[in-house]
Parts: sequence; C-alpha cells; structure tokens
Amino acid sequence: MKMKKFMVTLAALTLAVSVTACGSGNNGGNAAANNGGNAANESAANASADNSGGGAAIAPEDGAQLLVWESKEERAYTEEIAKQFTDKYGVPVKIEEVSPADQVTKLTQDGPSGLAADVVVFPHDNLGRAVEAGLLLENDDFAEETTNNNTEVSIQAVTYDGVLYGYPRSAETYALYYNKDLVKEAPKTFDDVIAFGKTFTDKSKNRYGIMWETGNMYFNYPFIATTGGYIFGSNGTDKNDIGINNAGAIEGLKTYVALKEVLPVKSGDINPDIKRSLFNSGDVAMDINGPWELAGYKEALGDKLGIAPIPSIGGKPAISFSGIKAWYVNSFTQYPNAAKLFAEFATTKDAQLILNEKVGSVPTNKEALESDQIKNDPYVSAFAEQTQNSQPMPSIAEMGNVWSPVNAALPEIWDNGKDPQQAMDKAAQQIKDLNNGSGQ
Amino acid sequence: MDRHRNKATVLSIISMGLGQIYNCQFIKGILYLLVEAAGIFYFSSTLGRALWGITTLGETARHKVHGKFVNGDHSIYLLVQSLITLIFLAIFILIYVINVRDARKTAAEREKGIPPHNFKRSLRYLMDYKFAQAFLALPAVGILFFTIMPIIFMILLAFTNYSSPDHIPPAKLVDWVGFQTFRDLVALKSWSHTFFGVLIWTIIWAVLSTVTTYFGGLLVALLINQQGIKFKGFWRTILIIPYAIPQLISLLVMRNMFNGQFGPINQYLGYFGLKGLPWLTDPFWAKVTVIVVNMWVGIPVSMILIMGVLTTIPRDMYEAAEVDGATGFQKFRIVTLPMILFSTAPTLIMQFAGNINNFNAIFLLTNGNPVVGDYQYAGATDLLVTWLYKLTLDQNKYNMASAVGIIIFLIIASFSIYNYRRTKSFKEEDMIQ
Repeated sequence: MKMKKFMVTLAALTLAVSVTACGSGNNGGNAAANNGGNAANESAANASADNSGGGAAIAPEDGAQLLVWESKEERAYTEEIAKQFTDKYGVPVKIEEVSPADQVTKLTQDGPSGLAADVVVFPHDNLGRAVEAGLLLENDDFAEETTNNNTEVSIQAVTYDGVLYGYPRSAETYALYYNKDLVKEAPKTFDDVIAFGKTFTDKSKNRYGIMWETGNMYFNYPFIATTGGYIFGSNGTDKNDIGINNAGAIEGLKTYVALKEVLPVKSGDINPDIKRSLFNSGDVAMDINGPWELAGYKEALGDKLGIAPIPSIGGKPAISFSGIKAWYVNSFTQYPNAAKLFAEFATTKDAQLILNEKVGSVPTNKEALESDQIKNDPYVSAFAEQTQNSQPMPSIAEMGNVWSPVNAALPEIWDNGKDPQQAMDKAAQQIKDLNNGSGQ
Repeated sequence: MDRHRNKATVLSIISMGLGQIYNCQFIKGILYLLVEAAGIFYFSSTLGRALWGITTLGETARHKVHGKFVNGDHSIYLLVQSLITLIFLAIFILIYVINVRDARKTAAEREKGIPPHNFKRSLRYLMDYKFAQAFLALPAVGILFFTIMPIIFMILLAFTNYSSPDHIPPAKLVDWVGFQTFRDLVALKSWSHTFFGVLIWTIIWAVLSTVTTYFGGLLVALLINQQGIKFKGFWRTILIIPYAIPQLISLLVMRNMFNGQFGPINQYLGYFGLKGLPWLTDPFWAKVTVIVVNMWVGIPVSMILIMGVLTTIPRDMYEAAEVDGATGFQKFRIVTLPMILFSTAPTLIMQFAGNINNFNAIFLLTNGNPVVGDYQYAGATDLLVTWLYKLTLDQNKYNMASAVGIIIFLIIASFSIYNYRRTKSFKEEDMIQ
C-alpha cells in the first residue's frame, strides 16, 4: 500500500517536473503540476496512460547510491542538484572531480572494473569513442522528454548512429570577451582587431590587444572553418574526408598568421592562468574564451566586461566549435534506474537554470532559453548568439585522432612561421595514418 | 634391495602421499593427499579455462542483446586469471616433485635399515636443516603473486594488440600478435622516428644530467670545504634548501618562472636590455632549461654525498703530498678525486640509471613539450618514460607502452650491470692505482 502511494506520488512529481514533455494535450499533467500533486491520484493514472515510456515508469533501485563525475569548475551546480536529488529520492550521491575531457578515457579503464561513476559528463566529441567501447546506456526511459525539451542541435550532438545516449545540459562555444574601458566597441572583423592591436599591443609592457590559446585547435577552429575548411566531411561523419588542409582552411589561416603581429607571443607561453590574470588586470583587451570563465571575469571587471560574437574572417561570420555537454549513464552501473533518474533530474529546465546561475552556461532546454534569466543576461545571450553560428564538434570515434596532430601543427605555424599548407598537410596525413591504424 | 625405493616412487607418482603412507609416515602422507585433493578440486574447474583463456584471450566480447548489455570475455581479466591459475599449477607441480623425491629418499633410507621419521621428527628435521626454506616459503609466494606475476603480465602485453581504439576490452577482444608491436616500433616510420628521437634525447639527458649534477656537487662541496671559507654551515644550508623543497612545488614554480613572455626570468633579463630566451617553447632551449633546472635540484644530493666522502680522506695523505711539494690542483687530481670517485662510483651509476627514468623533472617542468609536429604523441623534451606515460594514460596504447617499457628496462639493466662490474669498488680493489 505504502509502496503504491509512493509510486503514485513519484509519478505525479516526475510529471510535474517534466510537464513540458506532455505538450499541450495533457491537461491532467498540468493539473497535477498546478495543484502541487494534490490531485496526484487521478492525474498519475492519466500520466501513466499518456506518458507511457515516460519517467513515471522507473524508480530508483533499493539501496541505490550514485557516484557522479564532475569538473571542478561546475561542481557547485552538481552539488546543488545532488542535494535536491537526495532529498527527493533518498538516494545518496557522491561527487568526484574529473575533468570532462578525460572522463571517457577514465571510464574505459574504470568502467569494467566497477570503479567508475554511475553518471558521467563529457563534451559530445567523445561520444563516438564511448559508444564504440560499449560504455554507455541509451537514454531510453526519458527519450521523449529529452527530445522534446532540448534544442535540435543538442539532441543531434548526443545521438550516435541514430540512438539517443545523452541528457544534454549545456551548449558550449566561445565568444569574444572584451574590456569596454579599452575597446570602445566590439570589433566586427579581425582586421579591426589587428588595427586596434597595433595601437595597444606593447610587448615590453606585456600589453596585448587580444590573446587566446593559439596552440589549441578548439579555439582556432574559426580560422579553419569560416572560409570553408572542416575536420571531417559529411557533417563530421566521414573519417576519410579530412578538410583541415583544403584551400578554404589555408585561406582562413592567413588571418591567423596575420594576428601574430598583435600577439607576438609563443603559443607555449600562453596558458589559461596567465591569460586570465592579464585580462583581469586590463593588460589584455580581448580574449577568445568560453562561458566557464564568465563568473570569474564578471567578478573582476564588473560592468566593464563585454561579450561579442567572434569577429568575422574573410568577410564571413566566424564559425566556432560548439560542444554539447551532456550527462551519460555508465553501462556498468549497478543502479541504472537511479542513474537515469539523476541524469534526467540534472537536465530539467530548473537544473539548467541552476547551472547557468552558478557557472554561466548556455542552456539547451528550450524553455530555459526563453526564460527571463537567460533573455535578460547580455553575456549568456551573446554566447547563445555565437552558438547560432557554430558547428558541433564531430563525434565519431576518429575525432580522438585529430587533436594531437593539429595541436602540434598550430604552434609550428604560430611559433616557427611554418607554411600553413605544409603544416596542415602533415597533420592531415597523421590523422589519416592514425585512422587507418598505423598508429597501433 | 631396491624394492622399497621403486615402490615408494611409483606410488608417489600415482598420487601424492601414497609413497609416504607406504613408508609408514601416515600424517605426512595424509597431508600430501589433502594437498592433492585440493589441487584436483581447484584445477578441475579452472585449468581448462585458464589454458583456453591464455591461448585465445577470449572469444566473445561484451555485446548488446535486445538493447541490454551481455557480458562476454574480458581479454585482460582472462589473461590475469589464467596467469594466476598457471602459477598455482607451477607451485602444485613443484610440491609434487618434492613429494616424489621425499618418498624415494625415505624408502632408500629404509633399505639401509634406518627407520622412517615419525611426524614429530620430520618437523624437527624441517626446522633444523630446512629452516630457511620453510621460513621463506610464504614471502616467496607473496613475491610470486604481487611482484613477479604483474611483471609477467606487463611483459605479455607487449605481445598483444591491447590498444585504443580497436582493442580495448570489454567491447573488443585482444589478440596475441607476437613481435608485431616491436616490429612496428622500429619499422613503422611514424613510430620509429619518434622512438629513436626520444631514445637519443633520453641518453643525452641521462649523461648530461648525471655529469652536471655530480660535478656541480663536487665543485660546491670542495669550495665549501676549502680552508678559510667562513660560515660553512650557512653555505651548506643554502645549498641544501632546493633539495628540501618537494620537487612537485619547485618545478611547477620554475615552469612559471621560465615562461618566455611572462616569466620573471625573462622580465629580469629585460631590465638589462637583454632579449629573453624561449626557455620552454624552443626545442633546443627547452632541453637546456631542463638540464639547468635539474642541476638546481640535483646538485645538493651529490654535494651531501661528496662532503661525507671528503671527511673520510685521511689527512696524512695531504700532508705527504705537501711534503712532496704538490700544488693544490695536484692534490685534488691525485688524492681527492680518485678517493671520491672510488667511493661514489656505484652511486653515480645509480644516479645515471635513475636519470634515464627521471619522470618528475620532465613531466612537471615541461610535460615533454614543446610539441614536435612529426612525433607520435611526444614532445621535444619527452624521455622514454614520460612518452610511455602519455601512451598509456592519454592514448591507451598499452601494447606500445609495454614494448617501450621492456626496452627501457633492457637499456637500464645492461648499462647498469656492465658499468657496475667495471667499477673498482665492485672488483674490491682496495688499492687505488
């Protein structure tokens, strides 16, 4: 009896949370939400009828406890969510700090031996590797809610081979942070950036018009993609079609090389910490960076902080890399239901708004994007604007072979003045070799 | 007269303990029989699987059936489990041989008319004559399972294709590939270029870092020990400080100090109108930087060592040298240096071997960077050991890492053994020529 009542209440609550999933045709659900679950008994009956395959069907296993991996920067949000989740379901949640970029590698190791987290989070470019290695459970129980509630781009990013795996939580790309005291208005093109840099950059005083991680492919993708380059063809699915060295990419890299004049620093000398401190102290006027720096920059610069889309390259609006960060459920988990519930719980509209509040992320939840909290935030909307003009990173397994060669080629161009065509040809060849397994 | 002997032997071969029982050593015989029973019980369920596992490394990977994962064979776990079973088998066979020999020996003594030991006397005999073996049996088993087994396992990995992306269990199986990994390492251009590049730098690094720290330490120790130097204790303390700070901290601080654009060192040089150097971003200068920083960390160690040796040199040697009219430099060349080298040669070789694998100095200071475009996952200052780290932790190329590891071991072992055998201290010549 008690169990049944619990289940019904649970169903109603789940419904209240995922009310948006029911669309407009579900009055019972709305009623349940509005009445705060008073009408639970009736509406739950409706709910299970309307919502077959919805969240109502699963409850956490007895004695379930979850381990979750989360990055240091976004831990505050997960702690908040974990607390709410434990209050609601009575399932204790432990958090371990693992950098999202390393989580798939770590999961490969720790998953089979049962040491890995039940719920993990990583940028979607790792998805192919993880699926190929059989590390993830599909997002089946909440597929409908996830698909209906999140933007199409984010759903595509967390889908692999037509199967939905992830629970999207934020869209990440980078934009141009600038210091309004130093830059009167945000530059529209990189030529403007160079013109401004000539007036501002002074190497002897360590003042630079612009600074970004010049040796990291992630931030330099605009110089490849805006003028027609790409990583893999057919929307990032054809591993044999590598476009980092085509005519378009080389065209864009000319701008990259030209920028050296206003940032005469070796790529190896630029690291996020140094860049942060220079930008905060007003010695760097512009920084190409992601939303994870937002909270810190806001604190340091206050009203002086501005964010604009990345300046155009070759007359075209710059195309940035976007990554969808999503929760995934480890296929080796002992508590699949609890883990799925957590992943769903942590990606609802409210949860994404908490993430935005704590970290400054761009939500993927459609309603969250429409909410005042996002709409009235000039910073987040600037990122959202850049996201409109971004390409999701390829998620095929071969993406793992791209970073090292390109991250080696960029410093050669930047530091040693190597011809972009030569450097990129070499990188492309290395990626091909790795794809064809000669790197084995 | 050898009836007993053959009977006992044959019986013991048929089953452990029968020979002992035939020799009227009932307790011992029953103990052996129990070991036999335990062995048969254990091996009947595991031995077949172990042999199958170590030859095939699994036949079905973990796969999906109707959207649910079904566990298959995890090649790596199979390999470890098979190894454990096989080690048990080796122990079992060893006990078997001991039992046959024991039965035969006792029977031979019976033929000579010596009555077989009763159990108490057997124990006494064991404690009196075989005490060391009995006492060391347990630690030996521990070493077998906790040291030797993992080493065998790691060596075996080099002969598999255990690597990302296509051979990482449980979704994929691992297979034996024989010497293919080693062949790739030296023959495949992408790998061999990196391997030899990193290997040559590793050797250069090992020689330079050992020589610089050793002679740097020698120089400092001699300077402090000169007569007429004041505040000896103070100088010593100053020079030991780098050794006292954990490397993790000091090297990460150095990393920031040497930053080519924002580091204090280049800024400082800038005050004098000197152009800074690309300390960590240029392949050549990065190598210079790691050597220099390593001197700062390593000199104190040699200094302390050599100071200790200096105190042991008999004063009368110097007095004799002075009587003969030796100059300061001659005293150093003929008395001090040979004495020091004589006592520290083994440590010098140890330092050399340690420097080949000096993970900290490289990993913390440069992380192997600056990147080199045509290397496979390695940078200009990567040593074999840090490259191995990257191969394992960042790229999951375990088979390649294992092959590189084996090669590192061979290099270090051969170097060390060869050198050590040639040192005078090994030959125990107490006269310095």
